[in-house]
Amino acid sequence: MIYSSELIKGTLKTIILKLLKENKRMYGYEITQTVKELTQGKIQLTEGALYPSLHALEAEGILVTETEYIGKRMRKYYSLSVPGKALTKEKISEFTDFMETMRFLLDIKPAV
Amino acid sequence: MYCISDRQIDFILNDIRRNGIELEDLQLNLLDHVCCIIEQEFEENGDFEQFYFSTVRRFYKTHLNEIEEETKSLLTFKHYYFMKKAMIISGVFSAAVLSIGIVLKFLHTSGASACMVLGIGSFSLVFLPLMATLKIKEKQGSRDKLLMLLGALSAVCICMAILFKLQYWPGANKLGLISVGILFVLFLPVYFISGIRQAETKINTIVSSILLVAGCGLFLALARTPQASYNAKRTLTEHYLRNEQLLKNERLVTSRLGAEAQQINVLCDGLKAAIIEDETGTKQPDWSNTVLSEDRSRVLNNNTEVEGMINELKKHMETYNRDVGPGHSLPLAIPLFDNNDDRTLQTLNDLVQIQLFVAQNQVPAQN
Repeated sequence: MIYSSELIKGTLKTIILKLLKENKRMYGYEITQTVKELTQGKIQLTEGALYPSLHALEAEGILVTETEYIGKRMRKYYSLSVPGKALTKEKISEFTDFMETMRFLLDIKPAV
Repeated sequence: MYCISDRQIDFILNDIRRNGIELEDLQLNLLDHVCCIIEQEFEENGDFEQFYFSTVRRFYKTHLNEIEEETKSLLTFKHYYFMKKAMIISGVFSAAVLSIGIVLKFLHTSGASACMVLGIGSFSLVFLPLMATLKIKEKQGSRDKLLMLLGALSAVCICMAILFKLQYWPGANKLGLISVGILFVLFLPVYFISGIRQAETKINTIVSSILLVAGCGLFLALARTPQASYNAKRTLTEHYLRNEQLLKNERLVTSRLGAEAQQINVLCDGLKAAIIEDETGTKQPDWSNTVLSEDRSRVLNNNTEVEGMINELKKHMETYNRDVGPGHSLPLAIPLFDNNDDRTLQTLNDLVQIQLFVAQNQVPAQN
């Protein structure tokens, strides 16, 4: 089952930040592939959602970039800035709390 | 893994650009992304173009430039938060500085004027434009956007008119009339007609319109009409001319002035001539149809020669006062010397009074 884009939209920022925290620096395609592998294809980030978010996070100073030439084309690597690292903790903690609330709200029993 | 050629890279980049992706960063990101997919998934003997188009088609719903639009919208959203923060900071700053200015004004201490200029200036030139921009962004219809723009423009003009009036800067009345004009002629009709048509906004529109008309009415009731302004200036100019006549008559009955007194006289005449020339555009105005203003005199603040004359006059007056002793001394506590409130007519009258004092201190001439 692939999760709907509505579900993913609200968590995209947190996913990107968490991946960059674990992998130090990543480029766009790498992020999509890593998410696909880790979730066994259940979450598939679209290019139309990923790149606008990456650009916005960069403009906000949460991500920093470095570029490298791969033959004729340029590859942009993203990594967390100092405020980005703090925000990542905050986002994960917020999301954990959100999941707890949803679990309670929807009365979801933990799987035995 | 397929090895992509330079020609294919150019082809992809051109296609991305042709599809409306203008942000260079985004172009390079998408190029790298497509190239990665091709390298991983394309087979040597496949149709490159067909594979490319089917790959890039997965990126969007209707058109590729959706990605650019989404990027721009997220970047604007970021500015939105920054602007909102700046609006709140400037609003708090304006309110605080203006309040301090008002307190200082009532305590009659220095700094009141500077605080009020800063407070009203930041409120009308930073806070109000930011607030209007954010509200305009939030509004959907073009009529609502126009209303917000006109309202903000009028509010800025009203604030600036009050600031100009407080500081005796020229143009205060014109600014006030422009702001009321915008409100009455442009804002109110559009607001009233658009609001009254909808049942849910009808009552609110009527009440708000009445409040607006009453507010403008009170503002206009306080404001002096152009004719009344002219009459007041005419009366004050005539007072000044009568003082000049008194001085002329006094000089006829006084003996020759001493050296210090003569210097004071020459400097006062020079300053008066400079002010009158700056105000009327000529050294010898036709007084039958010339009126002087109550505004601050520009030449007293922006002319180094005139500032030199003021300093010299003050020094001569201090020497003169030491010579004549108490009871005959000239007034030194006048706005001209504190460089703070030097208005045209007041300064001219002060200078004539100094000359009158000097003339009256002389021994009357023998007939």
